[in-house]
Amino acid sequence: MPVHRALAPICAALLAGAQPLPAAADPLPPDTTYRPLPVMPPSRAHAIDEAQKPAVMARQRELLDSRYDLADRPLPGAMMSGGTKPVQEGVRVRLPEGQDWDSLAAMTPAEIRDGDLLPQGFLPLPHVKQATGGQVFPQNQIDRIAAQEQRDLRRFDVDFDLPDHLTPEFPPPIFLTTQPHLGDVSRGELLTIRNYYEIMNGLVTPVQMEGLRLLLTPFPQEEFNQTEDRKVADPSLGVACLDCHSNFHSNAAFHQTPDVRPQASRFRLDTTSLRGMFNQQIHGSKRSLRSIEDFTEFEQRTAYFNGDHVSATRKGVHLPDRANQVAMMAQMQNIIDFPPAPKLDPFGRLDPTLATEQELAGEAVFLGKGRCAECHNPQTAFMDNQMHDLKLERFYKPGQVHNDMATLPDGPIKTFTLRGIKDSPPYLHDGRLMTLADTVEFFNLVLGTGLSGDEKEALTAYLLTL
Amino acid sequence: MFPRMIAAGWVLLAAPALAQIGNPGNLAPDTAMQDAATPAPHQRNAHDTLSYQLLAAGGMAEVALAQLALDRAGSDELRGFAEMMVRDHSDANERLAALAEAANVPLPEGPDPEHQAMQERLAGLEGGDFDLAYIRGQITDHQKTVQLLSAEVTGGQDAELQRLAAELLPVVQGHLDRARDIHARLAGISPAVTPAPVARPDPAATPDPAATPDPAATPDPGASPDPAAASPAPPAAPAAPETP
Repeated sequence: MPVHRALAPICAALLAGAQPLPAAADPLPPDTTYRPLPVMPPSRAHAIDEAQKPAVMARQRELLDSRYDLADRPLPGAMMSGGTKPVQEGVRVRLPEGQDWDSLAAMTPAEIRDGDLLPQGFLPLPHVKQATGGQVFPQNQIDRIAAQEQRDLRRFDVDFDLPDHLTPEFPPPIFLTTQPHLGDVSRGELLTIRNYYEIMNGLVTPVQMEGLRLLLTPFPQEEFNQTEDRKVADPSLGVACLDCHSNFHSNAAFHQTPDVRPQASRFRLDTTSLRGMFNQQIHGSKRSLRSIEDFTEFEQRTAYFNGDHVSATRKGVHLPDRANQVAMMAQMQNIIDFPPAPKLDPFGRLDPTLATEQELAGEAVFLGKGRCAECHNPQTAFMDNQMHDLKLERFYKPGQVHNDMATLPDGPIKTFTLRGIKDSPPYLHDGRLMTLADTVEFFNLVLGTGLSGDEKEALTAYLLTL
Repeated sequence: MFPRMIAAGWVLLAAPALAQIGNPGNLAPDTAMQDAATPAPHQRNAHDTLSYQLLAAGGMAEVALAQLALDRAGSDELRGFAEMMVRDHSDANERLAALAEAANVPLPEGPDPEHQAMQERLAGLEGGDFDLAYIRGQITDHQKTVQLLSAEVTGGQDAELQRLAAELLPVVQGHLDRARDIHARLAGISPAVTPAPVARPDPAATPDPAATPDPAATPDPGASPDPAAASPAPPAAPAAPETP
């Protein structure tokens, strides 16, 4: 009895607390978070999309040309790891009028911001069509998949927007941690659902083979599916993981981050390489997923569906079985090696008997004055398994809209590995930098390291050895 | 107002490459087209209609709340902020109203219940209590407006409204930064949320790796009761880095 009496006031308090509180305010409109369903009849939307395409591409080309020198200027003597494509030379980001790199580096961030002097190529790069977004494949991938699988990756609303010479070699070589004595095992082919068995049988385990098959199997995706809400002409079987991560590397296909809303604020994502996955502890530029298994499983709702599980469910999402399929897909990814770097010792440091003086000078800058190694630690495969915020917004006024993209602070982004970095232009998470020389100028300004011309050249030469 | 809009329309026609280009799937099914690719002026989808309503109601409330703040605010900084609100939002409200008239969209005539409740709550406060409540409300309001404007840029189809949203977005983001900054001071969090300009090393001077850090550059925690002064320097002001 006394217990009951003692409880009475508590119950009364709980009941009072259970009174529904009136909502403080109306929420923001649903389409600020969720994907709106299309309302225009698909045939008409398709026709308008086709009609808009030239203007979409012209607008993007104008933005790219105003920000970058996109010319084809190979760096003499520097080829990517498969030997089929030269590395591009020089700084491609255009300078604001009346400035050079040294004059900019001598200013404070606030002076650059208040004078609108940040080179525009350092700003976040918009998707080719920000309002629609989604995966956009380069022509070489579209052609190869059409020929081998008779599957259509061509979008009717947009094309790929960067010139071919500023993207990775295609198809890229494949190096396996389990077969280091073989070197590139790709045979110069693009792995597809048609040819993977012929190419990989005898090189991988049954479990890895099944993982590979799943990574090459197309599944519905936001722009490639069977509903009216698609951007491919015919109802589509979808896309495969390796449609972007060609041969486990990257073909520079791009997308938008699944992790930000509303649509105008979503930053562009350049496909990251899967090489060296075995050493990576966090996954996703923003999500920091703690295992490749988590990432592989959930990617069916992120890369495939923009992080909108509601839309994913409507269009037929693939939910791989964690214990079997996910594990096998992960095990296949975990045997993908970096390309050989013959001048690096087991700790990721240059072997002074093999490296040139300039490369060694570049390493010294990398480890010291340039502050690169504070995040890109050689000993841990040139990353630190952390996310960092470069606070680029110190240099510009946030909120300006470029090609329908709201230019906003990026916030913390994962540190990507620099091993094999010459193979994966364009650079930064959104591909806003075209060459390694651009990345050197970018970080020199953002970190305020005050590198000299010689130091910058040495650093670029060093990056080519990784 | 009218000549300005005509001029804006002319700029659009003269420079189609700069036009807003949305997802046609989200155009209203009855959209009249100017050509095969472009909706005619003032054609709108449901998102535009909603943006007109929400931005108009929010804009009106900003001016009314700021006028209350000019009456009540204890801090000069806050009064300066309120003056900026009256000026910037009156201008934006006028432009929005002109667009709405041209597009034949009826706008709300009074504040929405959320802002009405805010106004009533603020009316009962004074001094420091008022200042804090006002600036906190301003932060929330401007956060929502930034998201609304951003959503209109890609979600709408009325190119003029989208252009206005794009133009206002950096302004409203600037208001938000300022409001957060003022709040940080009023609430005693830190002297500045927005980092002040930082001195950069002279690039002409070759750093001597052996040089010891200048003791004058290192704040003495004992000498400064201000916790923010002892916080780590932002990455823009590196000391001569050591090899890790």
